[in-house]
Amino acid sequence: MANTFSIEEENVSRVEGHGDLVLDVKNKKIEKLQFRIPESPRFFEAMLVGRKWDTPSHITSRICGICSVAHTYASIKATEAAMGINNINDQILKLRKLIFHHECVQSNVLHVYFLAAPDFFGVGSAISLVDSHPEVVNIALRVKKMANDMVRIIGGRAVHPIRTVVGGFTKLPTIQEMHQMKEMLQAAYPDLENSLEVLKTLDIPDFERETEYISISDPVDYALYDGNIKSTDGWEIDDQDYLDKINEKVVKHSTGKHSWASRDAYLVGALARFNNNYDQLSDNAKQYAEELGLKPLNYNPFMNNIAQFVEIVHSVDDSIKLIDELLEEGLDEDKAIVDVKPKAGRGVGVVEAPRGLLIHDYTYDDEGKVEKANLIIPTNQNYANIEKDLEEMVPQIIDKSEDEIKLACEMLIRAYDPCISCSTHFLNVKLVNK
Amino acid sequence: MGLKENNIPKAEKKIIGFGNIYMSDDGIGLEVIDKLENKIEGIELIDGGTSATDLILHAKSSKKIIIIDAVDAGQKTGEIIKFDARNVSQYFGNIRSFSLHDFNLSQALEMIQNLKINTEIVIIGIKPKNIGFGEKLSPEIEAKIPEIIDMVIREAND
Repeated sequence: MANTFSIEEENVSRVEGHGDLVLDVKNKKIEKLQFRIPESPRFFEAMLVGRKWDTPSHITSRICGICSVAHTYASIKATEAAMGINNINDQILKLRKLIFHHECVQSNVLHVYFLAAPDFFGVGSAISLVDSHPEVVNIALRVKKMANDMVRIIGGRAVHPIRTVVGGFTKLPTIQEMHQMKEMLQAAYPDLENSLEVLKTLDIPDFERETEYISISDPVDYALYDGNIKSTDGWEIDDQDYLDKINEKVVKHSTGKHSWASRDAYLVGALARFNNNYDQLSDNAKQYAEELGLKPLNYNPFMNNIAQFVEIVHSVDDSIKLIDELLEEGLDEDKAIVDVKPKAGRGVGVVEAPRGLLIHDYTYDDEGKVEKANLIIPTNQNYANIEKDLEEMVPQIIDKSEDEIKLACEMLIRAYDPCISCSTHFLNVKLVNK
Repeated sequence: MGLKENNIPKAEKKIIGFGNIYMSDDGIGLEVIDKLENKIEGIELIDGGTSATDLILHAKSSKKIIIIDAVDAGQKTGEIIKFDARNVSQYFGNIRSFSLHDFNLSQALEMIQNLKINTEIVIIGIKPKNIGFGEKLSPEIEAKIPEIIDMVIREAND
Protein backbone atom coordinates (compact mmCIF):
# COMPACT_ATOMS: atom_id res chain seq x y z
CA MET A 1 0.00 0.00 0.00
CA ALA A 2 1.37 3.38 -0.93
CA ASN A 3 0.72 5.68 2.00
CA THR A 4 3.75 7.84 1.50
CA PHE A 5 5.87 7.98 -1.57
CA SER A 6 7.52 10.27 -4.03
CA ILE A 7 7.72 9.86 -7.78
CA GLU A 8 10.26 12.03 -9.48
CA GLU A 9 10.60 11.42 -13.13
CA GLU A 10 13.14 13.59 -14.82
CA ASN A 11 13.63 13.26 -18.50
CA VAL A 12 17.04 13.57 -19.92
CA SER A 13 16.97 16.72 -21.95
CA ARG A 14 16.79 16.08 -25.70
CA VAL A 15 16.39 18.27 -28.68
CA GLU A 16 12.93 19.44 -27.74
CA GLY A 17 13.63 19.90 -24.05
CA HIS A 18 12.26 17.61 -21.41
CA GLY A 19 9.21 16.75 -19.32
CA ASP A 20 9.01 15.85 -15.65
CA LEU A 21 6.42 14.32 -13.39
CA VAL A 22 6.73 15.12 -9.72
CA LEU A 23 4.31 13.42 -7.33
CA ASP A 24 4.69 13.51 -3.56
CA VAL A 25 2.16 11.67 -1.44
CA LYS A 26 2.19 11.71 2.36
CA ASN A 27 -0.30 9.71 4.41
CA LYS A 28 -2.41 9.14 1.31
CA LYS A 29 -2.67 12.87 0.57
CA ILE A 30 -1.08 14.52 -2.43
CA GLU A 31 1.38 17.11 -1.19
CA LYS A 32 2.76 18.04 -4.56
CA LEU A 33 1.80 17.15 -8.10
CA GLN A 34 3.39 18.80 -11.07
CA PHE A 35 3.66 17.76 -14.66
CA ARG A 36 6.13 19.91 -16.49
CA ILE A 37 6.72 19.99 -20.20
CA PRO A 38 8.77 22.31 -22.33
CA GLU A 39 7.45 25.07 -24.50
CA SER A 40 9.36 24.48 -27.67
CA PRO A 41 7.77 26.98 -30.09
CA ARG A 42 9.33 30.01 -28.42
CA PHE A 43 12.51 29.69 -30.39
CA PHE A 44 10.56 29.23 -33.61
CA GLU A 45 8.40 32.29 -32.92
CA ALA A 46 11.56 34.37 -32.65
CA MET A 47 13.07 32.69 -35.68
CA LEU A 48 10.09 33.58 -37.88
CA VAL A 49 10.41 37.31 -37.31
CA GLY A 50 11.82 39.01 -40.42
CA ARG A 51 11.18 36.01 -42.69
CA LYS A 52 9.50 36.38 -46.08
CA TRP A 53 5.92 35.05 -46.35
CA ASP A 54 6.86 31.91 -48.27
CA THR A 55 9.28 30.53 -45.67
CA PRO A 56 7.43 30.12 -42.32
CA SER A 57 5.65 26.93 -43.38
CA HIS A 58 8.95 25.24 -44.22
CA ILE A 59 10.58 26.39 -40.99
CA THR A 60 7.68 25.47 -38.71
CA SER A 61 7.28 22.06 -40.35
CA ARG A 62 10.52 21.23 -38.53
CA ILE A 63 9.13 22.00 -35.08
CA CYS A 64 8.00 18.41 -34.83
CA GLY A 65 8.81 15.42 -36.99
CA ILE A 66 5.51 13.79 -36.11
CA CYS A 67 3.23 16.70 -36.96
CA SER A 68 5.05 18.50 -39.71
CA VAL A 69 1.99 18.62 -42.00
CA ALA A 70 -0.09 20.20 -39.22
CA HIS A 71 2.50 22.92 -38.61
CA THR A 72 2.87 23.41 -42.36
CA TYR A 73 -0.86 24.05 -42.75
CA ALA A 74 -1.37 26.09 -39.59
CA SER A 75 1.40 28.25 -41.02
CA ILE A 76 0.07 28.34 -44.58
CA LYS A 77 -3.45 29.18 -43.39
CA ALA A 78 -2.15 31.97 -41.15
CA THR A 79 -0.22 33.45 -44.06
CA GLU A 80 -3.14 33.10 -46.49
CA ALA A 81 -5.47 34.78 -43.95
CA ALA A 82 -2.98 37.61 -43.47
CA MET A 83 -2.56 38.11 -47.24
CA GLY A 84 -6.31 38.06 -47.77
CA ILE A 85 -6.20 34.98 -49.99
CA ASN A 86 -9.76 33.71 -50.14
CA ASN A 87 -9.81 31.95 -53.49
CA ILE A 88 -8.31 28.59 -52.53
CA ASN A 89 -10.18 26.28 -54.89
CA ASP A 90 -11.95 23.04 -54.19
CA GLN A 91 -9.19 20.93 -55.73
CA ILE A 92 -6.53 22.42 -53.46
CA LEU A 93 -8.81 22.07 -50.42
CA LYS A 94 -9.50 18.42 -51.12
CA LEU A 95 -5.83 17.59 -51.60
CA ARG A 96 -4.99 19.46 -48.40
CA LYS A 97 -7.62 17.48 -46.51
CA LEU A 98 -6.27 14.29 -48.03
CA ILE A 99 -2.67 14.83 -46.95
CA PHE A 100 -3.89 16.06 -43.57
CA HIS A 101 -5.75 12.81 -42.94
CA HIS A 102 -2.59 10.81 -43.36
CA GLU A 103 -0.37 12.72 -41.02
CA CYS A 104 -3.10 12.06 -38.50
CA VAL A 105 -3.02 8.36 -39.42
CA GLN A 106 0.81 8.29 -39.20
CA SER A 107 0.75 9.75 -35.73
CA ASN A 108 -2.28 7.88 -34.41
CA VAL A 109 -0.88 4.54 -35.58
CA LEU A 110 2.37 5.19 -33.82
CA HIS A 111 0.64 6.13 -30.60
CA VAL A 112 -2.08 3.51 -30.49
CA TYR A 113 0.06 0.54 -31.47
CA PHE A 114 3.59 1.38 -30.37
CA LEU A 115 3.35 3.78 -27.44
CA ALA A 116 0.05 3.02 -25.72
CA ALA A 117 -0.56 -0.64 -26.61
CA PRO A 118 2.48 -1.98 -24.70
CA ASP A 119 0.88 -0.65 -21.49
CA PHE A 120 -2.38 -2.43 -22.14
CA PHE A 121 -0.67 -5.67 -23.12
CA GLY A 122 1.51 -5.50 -20.04
CA VAL A 123 4.79 -5.48 -21.95
CA GLY A 124 7.52 -2.94 -21.39
CA SER A 125 7.82 -1.42 -24.82
CA ALA A 126 7.01 -1.74 -28.49
CA ILE A 127 10.12 -3.88 -28.88
CA SER A 128 8.60 -6.51 -26.62
CA LEU A 129 5.47 -6.46 -28.78
CA VAL A 130 7.47 -8.11 -31.56
CA ASP A 131 7.53 -11.30 -29.53
CA SER A 132 4.26 -10.97 -27.59
CA HIS A 133 1.99 -9.54 -30.29
CA PRO A 134 3.75 -9.78 -33.67
CA GLU A 135 0.45 -9.31 -35.53
CA VAL A 136 0.01 -5.91 -33.87
CA VAL A 137 3.48 -4.80 -34.93
CA ASN A 138 2.93 -5.93 -38.50
CA ILE A 139 -0.45 -4.19 -38.72
CA ALA A 140 1.09 -1.01 -37.31
CA LEU A 141 3.94 -1.06 -39.81
CA ARG A 142 1.61 -1.70 -42.76
CA VAL A 143 -0.80 1.10 -41.82
CA LYS A 144 2.09 3.46 -41.09
CA LYS A 145 3.60 2.67 -44.48
CA MET A 146 0.26 3.33 -46.19
CA ALA A 147 -0.01 6.73 -44.48
CA ASN A 148 3.64 7.55 -45.26
CA ASP A 149 3.07 6.71 -48.91
CA MET A 150 -0.04 8.90 -49.01
CA VAL A 151 1.86 11.88 -47.57
CA ARG A 152 4.80 11.21 -49.90
CA ILE A 153 2.66 11.01 -53.03
CA ILE A 154 0.76 14.23 -52.28
CA GLY A 155 3.47 16.18 -50.48
CA GLY A 156 6.57 14.93 -52.28
CA ARG A 157 8.09 13.48 -49.10
CA ALA A 158 6.88 11.20 -46.29
CA VAL A 159 7.96 13.77 -43.70
CA HIS A 160 8.33 17.52 -44.09
CA PRO A 161 6.43 17.69 -47.41
CA ILE A 162 7.77 20.14 -49.97
CA ARG A 163 4.92 20.54 -52.48
CA THR A 164 2.59 22.09 -49.93
CA VAL A 165 2.99 25.85 -50.18
CA VAL A 166 1.12 29.10 -49.59
CA GLY A 167 -1.52 29.28 -52.35
CA GLY A 168 -1.68 25.56 -53.16
CA PHE A 169 0.61 22.84 -54.50
CA THR A 170 3.79 23.11 -56.58
CA LYS A 171 2.91 19.77 -58.19
CA LEU A 172 -0.17 17.57 -58.24
CA PRO A 173 -0.31 13.80 -57.98
CA THR A 174 -0.94 12.03 -61.26
CA ILE A 175 -4.20 10.22 -62.05
CA GLN A 176 -2.27 6.97 -61.80
CA GLU A 177 -1.05 7.94 -58.33
CA MET A 178 -4.61 8.81 -57.30
CA HIS A 179 -5.72 5.29 -58.27
CA GLN A 180 -2.69 3.85 -56.51
CA MET A 181 -3.62 5.72 -53.33
CA LYS A 182 -7.18 4.45 -53.48
CA GLU A 183 -5.94 0.87 -53.78
CA MET A 184 -3.59 1.37 -50.82
CA LEU A 185 -6.46 2.71 -48.72
CA GLN A 186 -8.80 -0.13 -49.63
CA ALA A 187 -6.07 -2.62 -48.76
CA ALA A 188 -5.94 -1.20 -45.21
CA TYR A 189 -9.42 -2.43 -44.22
CA PRO A 190 -8.44 -5.98 -43.20
CA ASP A 191 -5.82 -4.49 -40.86
CA LEU A 192 -8.39 -2.14 -39.38
CA GLU A 193 -10.82 -5.00 -38.85
CA ASN A 194 -8.13 -7.09 -37.17
CA SER A 195 -7.13 -4.11 -35.04
CA LEU A 196 -10.71 -3.78 -33.89
CA GLU A 197 -10.67 -7.32 -32.54
CA VAL A 198 -7.38 -6.68 -30.73
CA LEU A 199 -8.52 -3.36 -29.28
CA LYS A 200 -11.73 -4.92 -28.00
CA THR A 201 -9.62 -7.04 -25.67
CA LEU A 202 -7.89 -4.08 -24.03
CA ASP A 203 -8.69 -3.38 -20.42
CA ILE A 204 -9.10 0.40 -20.49
CA PRO A 205 -8.81 1.96 -17.00
CA ASP A 206 -12.17 3.02 -15.66
CA PHE A 207 -11.48 6.64 -14.84
CA GLU A 208 -13.60 9.63 -15.71
CA ARG A 209 -13.26 13.34 -15.11
CA GLU A 210 -15.45 15.72 -16.96
CA THR A 211 -13.59 18.67 -18.42
CA GLU A 212 -13.92 21.08 -21.32
CA TYR A 213 -13.15 19.58 -24.73
CA ILE A 214 -11.99 21.98 -27.44
CA SER A 215 -11.37 21.30 -31.13
CA ILE A 216 -12.16 22.76 -34.49
CA SER A 217 -15.51 21.84 -35.96
CA ASP A 218 -17.27 21.95 -39.30
CA PRO A 219 -20.90 21.22 -40.20
CA VAL A 220 -19.90 18.72 -42.92
CA ASP A 221 -16.35 17.46 -42.31
CA TYR A 222 -14.91 15.73 -39.29
CA ALA A 223 -12.71 18.78 -38.98
CA LEU A 224 -8.95 18.35 -39.10
CA TYR A 225 -7.87 20.93 -41.65
CA ASP A 226 -10.38 23.71 -41.13
CA GLY A 227 -13.30 24.87 -39.02
CA ASN A 228 -14.52 27.08 -36.21
CA ILE A 229 -13.15 26.55 -32.73
CA LYS A 230 -15.78 24.71 -30.70
CA SER A 231 -16.14 23.72 -27.05
CA THR A 232 -18.28 21.13 -25.32
CA ASP A 233 -19.07 23.94 -22.88
CA GLY A 234 -21.37 25.36 -25.51
CA TRP A 235 -19.46 28.03 -27.37
CA GLU A 236 -18.18 28.20 -30.96
CA ILE A 237 -16.05 30.99 -32.43
CA ASP A 238 -14.39 31.88 -35.70
CA ASP A 239 -10.80 30.63 -35.69
CA GLN A 240 -9.49 34.16 -36.26
CA ASP A 241 -10.93 35.11 -32.86
CA TYR A 242 -9.15 32.43 -30.82
CA LEU A 243 -7.90 35.01 -28.32
CA ASP A 244 -11.51 35.65 -27.25
CA LYS A 245 -11.57 32.25 -25.56
CA ILE A 246 -8.12 30.67 -25.40
CA ASN A 247 -6.07 32.01 -22.52
CA GLU A 248 -2.56 31.20 -21.43
CA LYS A 249 -0.78 31.91 -18.20
CA VAL A 250 2.73 31.36 -16.98
CA VAL A 251 3.03 28.95 -14.07
CA LYS A 252 5.86 29.00 -11.56
CA HIS A 253 6.90 25.38 -11.81
CA SER A 254 7.49 25.26 -15.53
CA THR A 255 8.60 27.18 -18.58
CA GLY A 256 5.46 25.89 -20.32
CA LYS A 257 2.26 27.89 -19.97
CA HIS A 258 -1.09 26.66 -18.69
CA SER A 259 -4.10 27.15 -20.97
CA TRP A 260 -7.70 27.66 -20.01
CA ALA A 261 -10.97 28.72 -21.64
CA SER A 262 -14.33 28.33 -19.85
CA ARG A 263 -12.86 26.57 -16.80
CA ASP A 264 -9.46 26.04 -15.22
CA ALA A 265 -8.30 23.51 -17.83
CA TYR A 266 -9.36 21.89 -21.10
CA LEU A 267 -8.52 18.89 -23.22
CA VAL A 268 -7.48 18.89 -26.88
CA GLY A 269 -6.79 15.94 -29.17
CA ALA A 270 -8.66 12.96 -30.57
CA LEU A 271 -11.11 12.67 -27.68
CA ALA A 272 -12.00 16.38 -27.94
CA ARG A 273 -12.51 16.03 -31.69
CA PHE A 274 -14.62 12.93 -31.15
CA ASN A 275 -16.74 14.62 -28.49
CA ASN A 276 -17.34 17.71 -30.63
CA ASN A 277 -17.62 16.14 -34.06
CA TYR A 278 -19.05 12.66 -33.65
CA ASP A 279 -21.88 13.38 -36.11
CA GLN A 280 -19.42 14.06 -38.93
CA LEU A 281 -17.59 10.71 -38.59
CA SER A 282 -18.13 8.18 -41.38
CA ASP A 283 -20.78 5.55 -40.67
CA ASN A 284 -18.04 2.94 -40.61
CA ALA A 285 -16.01 4.87 -38.03
CA LYS A 286 -19.16 5.30 -35.90
CA GLN A 287 -19.67 1.54 -36.04
CA TYR A 288 -16.09 0.94 -34.90
CA ALA A 289 -16.56 3.44 -32.07
CA GLU A 290 -19.71 1.69 -30.93
CA GLU A 291 -18.03 -1.71 -30.93
CA LEU A 292 -15.24 -0.26 -28.80
CA GLY A 293 -17.64 1.33 -26.33
CA LEU A 294 -16.84 4.91 -27.30
CA LYS A 295 -19.78 7.30 -27.36
CA PRO A 296 -19.95 11.07 -27.07
CA LEU A 297 -19.57 12.69 -24.63
CA ASN A 298 -16.83 10.52 -23.21
CA TYR A 299 -14.97 11.76 -20.14
CA ASN A 300 -12.33 9.02 -19.84
CA PRO A 301 -8.93 10.37 -21.00
CA PHE A 302 -7.69 6.79 -21.51
CA MET A 303 -10.30 6.50 -24.29
CA ASN A 304 -8.25 9.04 -26.25
CA ASN A 305 -6.38 6.00 -27.59
CA ILE A 306 -9.61 4.49 -28.86
CA ALA A 307 -10.68 7.82 -30.37
CA GLN A 308 -7.36 7.90 -32.22
CA PHE A 309 -8.07 4.50 -33.72
CA VAL A 310 -11.61 5.51 -34.70
CA GLU A 311 -10.08 8.51 -36.44
CA ILE A 312 -7.81 6.23 -38.48
CA VAL A 313 -10.92 4.41 -39.74
CA HIS A 314 -12.61 7.71 -40.59
CA SER A 315 -9.51 8.99 -42.37
CA VAL A 316 -9.35 5.91 -44.58
CA ASP A 317 -13.07 6.18 -45.40
CA ASP A 318 -12.99 9.91 -46.06
CA SER A 319 -9.80 9.69 -48.13
CA ILE A 320 -11.43 7.23 -50.51
CA LYS A 321 -14.38 9.60 -50.82
CA LEU A 322 -12.08 12.57 -51.50
CA ILE A 323 -10.10 10.63 -54.12
CA ASP A 324 -13.30 9.52 -55.87
CA GLU A 325 -14.48 13.13 -56.01
CA LEU A 326 -11.14 14.40 -57.29
CA LEU A 327 -11.01 11.69 -59.94
CA GLU A 328 -14.53 12.47 -61.05
CA GLU A 329 -13.82 16.19 -61.26
CA GLY A 330 -10.43 15.61 -62.91
CA LEU A 331 -7.12 17.08 -61.74
CA ASP A 332 -6.19 20.41 -63.27
CA GLU A 333 -2.55 21.57 -63.01
CA ASP A 334 -3.68 25.11 -63.90
CA LYS A 335 -5.60 25.18 -60.65
CA ALA A 336 -2.79 23.73 -58.53
CA ILE A 337 -1.86 27.08 -57.04
CA VAL A 338 -3.37 30.55 -56.76
CA ASP A 339 -1.52 33.88 -56.96
CA VAL A 340 -0.18 35.39 -53.78
CA LYS A 341 0.34 39.13 -53.48
CA PRO A 342 2.18 39.91 -50.26
CA LYS A 343 0.69 42.63 -48.12
CA ALA A 344 0.65 43.77 -44.52
CA GLY A 345 -1.83 42.13 -42.20
CA ARG A 346 -2.50 39.67 -39.44
CA GLY A 347 -3.77 36.14 -39.96
CA VAL A 348 -4.52 33.13 -37.83
CA GLY A 349 -4.20 29.50 -38.94
CA VAL A 350 -5.93 26.93 -36.79
CA VAL A 351 -5.82 23.20 -37.55
CA GLU A 352 -6.04 19.94 -35.66
CA ALA A 353 -2.58 18.45 -35.23
CA PRO A 354 -2.81 14.78 -34.30
CA ARG A 355 -2.48 15.79 -30.64
CA GLY A 356 -5.01 18.61 -30.85
CA LEU A 357 -5.65 22.25 -31.56
CA LEU A 358 -2.68 23.99 -33.17
CA ILE A 359 -2.66 27.75 -33.66
CA HIS A 360 -0.28 29.92 -35.69
CA ASP A 361 -0.84 33.67 -35.53
CA TYR A 362 1.32 35.87 -37.78
CA THR A 363 1.52 39.59 -38.40
CA TYR A 364 3.18 40.65 -41.68
CA ASP A 365 4.61 44.01 -42.72
CA ASP A 366 4.20 45.74 -46.12
CA GLU A 367 7.00 43.70 -47.66
CA GLY A 368 5.40 40.43 -46.60
CA LYS A 369 7.88 39.80 -43.81
CA VAL A 370 6.85 38.43 -40.43
CA GLU A 371 6.68 41.11 -37.74
CA LYS A 372 5.24 38.95 -34.98
CA ALA A 373 4.41 35.28 -34.51
CA ASN A 374 2.51 33.43 -31.82
CA LEU A 375 2.28 29.64 -31.83
CA ILE A 376 0.11 27.61 -29.47
CA ILE A 377 0.80 23.88 -29.53
CA PRO A 378 -1.53 21.09 -28.37
CA THR A 379 0.69 19.47 -25.78
CA ASN A 380 0.94 22.72 -23.87
CA GLN A 381 -2.84 23.14 -23.89
CA ASN A 382 -3.28 19.69 -22.32
CA TYR A 383 -0.72 20.33 -19.65
CA ALA A 384 -3.10 21.78 -17.00
CA ASN A 385 -5.73 19.15 -17.77
CA ILE A 386 -3.23 16.32 -17.26
CA GLU A 387 -2.41 17.71 -13.82
CA LYS A 388 -6.13 17.91 -12.95
CA ASP A 389 -6.65 14.32 -14.08
CA LEU A 390 -3.71 13.10 -12.01
CA GLU A 391 -4.97 15.01 -8.97
CA GLU A 392 -8.30 13.23 -9.26
CA MET A 393 -7.02 9.80 -10.26
CA VAL A 394 -4.23 9.29 -7.71
CA PRO A 395 -6.51 9.40 -4.61
CA GLN A 396 -8.80 6.85 -6.33
CA ILE A 397 -5.95 4.35 -6.69
CA ILE A 398 -4.00 5.27 -3.57
CA ASP A 399 -4.43 1.79 -2.06
CA LYS A 400 -2.66 0.15 -4.98
CA SER A 401 1.05 -0.59 -4.93
CA GLU A 402 3.53 2.15 -5.75
CA ASP A 403 4.41 0.39 -8.98
CA GLU A 404 0.78 0.26 -10.00
CA ILE A 405 0.29 3.93 -9.17
CA LYS A 406 3.42 4.82 -11.09
CA LEU A 407 2.26 2.85 -14.12
CA ALA A 408 -1.24 4.35 -13.96
CA CYS A 409 0.23 7.88 -13.92
CA GLU A 410 2.47 7.07 -16.85
CA MET A 411 -0.40 5.54 -18.78
CA LEU A 412 -2.60 8.55 -18.15
CA ILE A 413 0.07 10.94 -19.38
CA ARG A 414 0.76 8.70 -22.37
CA ALA A 415 -2.96 8.55 -23.18
CA TYR A 416 -2.75 12.23 -24.05
CA ASP A 417 -0.08 11.39 -26.61
CA PRO A 418 2.14 14.23 -25.44
CA CYS A 419 5.14 15.23 -27.48
CA ILE A 420 6.51 11.84 -28.37
CA SER A 421 10.08 12.51 -27.43
CA CYS A 422 8.78 13.19 -23.94
CA SER A 423 6.44 10.24 -23.68
CA THR A 424 9.06 7.64 -24.54
CA HIS A 425 11.08 8.84 -21.57
CA PHE A 426 8.29 7.81 -19.26
CA LEU A 427 9.70 4.34 -19.45
CA ASN A 428 12.33 5.49 -17.00
CA VAL A 429 10.53 6.64 -13.91
CA LYS A 430 12.40 6.93 -10.66
CA LEU A 431 10.44 6.11 -7.56
CA VAL A 432 11.92 7.17 -4.27
CA ASN A 433 10.31 6.14 -0.99
CA LYS A 434 10.27 8.70 1.73
CA MET B 1 21.61 0.21 -61.80
CA GLY B 2 25.07 -1.22 -61.33
CA LEU B 3 25.95 -4.27 -59.34
CA LYS B 4 28.67 -3.77 -56.80
CA GLU B 5 31.00 -6.39 -55.41
CA ASN B 6 28.62 -7.39 -52.65
CA ASN B 7 25.82 -7.68 -55.19
CA ILE B 8 23.52 -5.16 -53.62
CA PRO B 9 22.13 -3.08 -56.47
CA LYS B 10 22.21 0.66 -55.87
CA ALA B 11 18.43 0.78 -56.09
CA GLU B 12 18.26 -1.38 -52.99
CA LYS B 13 20.49 0.91 -50.98
CA LYS B 14 19.37 4.01 -49.14
CA ILE B 15 21.23 6.81 -47.45
CA ILE B 16 19.26 8.47 -44.67
CA GLY B 17 20.11 11.58 -42.74
CA PHE B 18 18.27 12.02 -39.46
CA GLY B 19 17.91 15.21 -37.49
CA ASN B 20 16.55 18.71 -37.33
CA ILE B 21 18.26 21.57 -39.13
CA TYR B 22 16.98 24.03 -36.52
CA MET B 23 18.62 22.20 -33.65
CA SER B 24 22.23 23.14 -34.35
CA ASP B 25 24.48 20.05 -34.63
CA ASP B 26 21.45 17.77 -34.65
CA GLY B 27 21.13 18.87 -38.30
CA ILE B 28 24.39 17.19 -39.34
CA GLY B 29 22.63 14.23 -40.97
CA LEU B 30 20.48 16.46 -43.16
CA GLU B 31 23.38 18.75 -44.00
CA VAL B 32 25.38 15.77 -45.27
CA ILE B 33 22.39 14.48 -47.27
CA ASP B 34 22.10 17.91 -48.87
CA LYS B 35 25.77 17.95 -49.83
CA LEU B 36 25.62 14.41 -51.22
CA GLU B 37 23.03 15.41 -53.85
CA ASN B 38 25.63 15.89 -56.57
CA LYS B 39 28.08 13.29 -55.37
CA ILE B 40 25.99 10.13 -55.35
CA GLU B 41 24.03 8.70 -58.24
CA GLY B 42 21.49 5.93 -58.31
CA ILE B 43 21.07 5.67 -54.54
CA GLU B 44 18.08 7.25 -52.87
CA LEU B 45 19.00 10.04 -50.47
CA ILE B 46 16.43 10.52 -47.73
CA ASP B 47 15.77 13.41 -45.40
CA GLY B 48 14.60 11.16 -42.59
CA GLY B 49 13.54 13.94 -40.26
CA THR B 50 13.12 12.51 -36.82
CA SER B 51 11.08 9.32 -37.20
CA ALA B 52 12.71 6.07 -36.17
CA THR B 53 9.61 4.06 -37.07
CA ASP B 54 10.25 5.04 -40.64
CA LEU B 55 13.73 3.55 -40.32
CA ILE B 56 12.02 0.20 -39.75
CA LEU B 57 10.01 0.71 -42.94
CA HIS B 58 13.10 1.72 -44.90
CA ALA B 59 14.90 -1.36 -43.57
CA LYS B 60 12.05 -3.57 -44.75
CA SER B 61 12.31 -2.17 -48.26
CA SER B 62 16.08 -2.16 -48.80
CA LYS B 63 19.15 -4.35 -48.59
CA LYS B 64 21.53 -1.76 -47.22
CA ILE B 65 21.02 1.47 -45.33
CA ILE B 66 23.60 4.05 -44.44
CA ILE B 67 22.51 6.38 -41.65
CA ILE B 68 24.09 9.71 -40.88
CA ASP B 69 23.17 11.11 -37.51
CA ALA B 70 24.32 12.93 -34.41
CA VAL B 71 25.23 10.03 -32.16
CA ASP B 72 26.80 9.71 -28.76
CA ALA B 73 28.29 6.27 -28.27
CA GLY B 74 30.75 7.44 -25.67
CA GLN B 75 33.22 8.92 -28.14
CA LYS B 76 34.70 12.43 -27.93
CA THR B 77 32.83 15.48 -29.21
CA GLY B 78 33.33 15.79 -32.97
CA GLU B 79 34.61 12.23 -33.25
CA ILE B 80 33.02 10.16 -35.99
CA ILE B 81 32.13 6.55 -35.39
CA LYS B 82 30.95 3.94 -37.86
CA PHE B 83 29.32 0.68 -36.95
CA ASP B 84 27.20 -2.05 -38.47
CA ALA B 85 23.95 -2.26 -36.54
CA ARG B 86 23.63 -6.02 -37.09
CA ASN B 87 26.84 -6.78 -35.30
CA VAL B 88 26.71 -4.35 -32.47
CA SER B 89 23.82 -5.32 -30.26
CA GLN B 90 26.13 -4.50 -27.37
CA TYR B 91 25.60 -0.88 -28.36
CA PHE B 92 21.89 -1.13 -27.58
CA GLY B 93 21.19 1.15 -24.68
CA ASN B 94 24.58 2.80 -25.02
CA ILE B 95 24.14 4.72 -28.22
CA ARG B 96 22.13 7.87 -28.11
CA SER B 97 20.82 9.46 -31.25
CA PHE B 98 19.88 13.05 -30.66
CA SER B 99 17.51 13.11 -33.58
CA LEU B 100 14.90 10.43 -33.34
CA HIS B 101 11.72 11.28 -31.56
CA ASP B 102 9.26 8.42 -31.62
CA PHE B 103 11.74 5.73 -30.62
CA ASN B 104 15.39 6.24 -30.12
CA LEU B 105 17.88 4.77 -32.53
CA SER B 106 18.77 1.87 -30.23
CA GLN B 107 15.11 0.90 -29.93
CA ALA B 108 14.57 1.10 -33.68
CA LEU B 109 17.64 -1.05 -34.36
CA GLU B 110 16.58 -3.55 -31.72
CA MET B 111 13.12 -3.72 -33.24
CA ILE B 112 14.58 -4.28 -36.70
CA GLN B 113 16.67 -7.10 -35.27
CA ASN B 114 13.69 -8.61 -33.42
CA LEU B 115 11.62 -8.44 -36.59
CA LYS B 116 14.41 -10.44 -38.26
CA ILE B 117 14.84 -7.85 -40.98
CA ASN B 118 18.21 -8.73 -42.38
CA THR B 119 19.13 -5.41 -43.89
CA GLU B 120 22.70 -4.23 -43.58
CA ILE B 121 22.57 -1.01 -41.57
CA VAL B 122 25.67 1.09 -41.24
CA ILE B 123 25.58 4.06 -38.93
CA ILE B 124 27.96 6.93 -39.34
CA GLY B 125 27.59 9.15 -36.32
CA ILE B 126 29.32 12.18 -35.00
CA LYS B 127 29.09 13.32 -31.41
CA PRO B 128 27.56 16.82 -31.47
CA LYS B 129 28.80 19.78 -29.51
CA ASN B 130 25.55 21.74 -29.32
CA ILE B 131 22.01 20.48 -29.86
CA GLY B 132 20.15 23.54 -28.62
CA PHE B 133 18.01 25.72 -30.87
CA GLY B 134 20.05 27.19 -33.70
CA GLU B 135 20.38 27.18 -37.47
CA LYS B 136 24.12 26.62 -37.71
CA LEU B 137 26.40 23.71 -37.06
CA SER B 138 29.25 24.24 -34.62
CA PRO B 139 32.41 25.03 -36.64
CA GLU B 140 34.22 21.92 -35.38
CA ILE B 141 31.28 19.74 -36.43
CA GLU B 142 30.90 21.46 -39.81
CA ALA B 143 34.61 20.90 -40.43
CA LYS B 144 34.01 17.15 -40.28
CA ILE B 145 31.50 17.13 -43.17
CA PRO B 146 34.07 16.26 -45.89
CA GLU B 147 35.31 13.32 -43.81
CA ILE B 148 31.75 12.09 -43.25
CA ILE B 149 30.95 12.43 -46.95
CA ASP B 150 34.05 10.38 -47.89
CA MET B 151 32.98 7.69 -45.42
CA VAL B 152 29.44 7.62 -46.82
CA ILE B 153 30.63 7.39 -50.41
CA ARG B 154 33.06 4.58 -49.57
CA GLU B 155 30.30 2.75 -47.74
CA ALA B 156 27.80 3.33 -50.54
CA ASN B 157 30.21 1.82 -53.07
CA ASP B 158 31.16 -1.06 -50.81
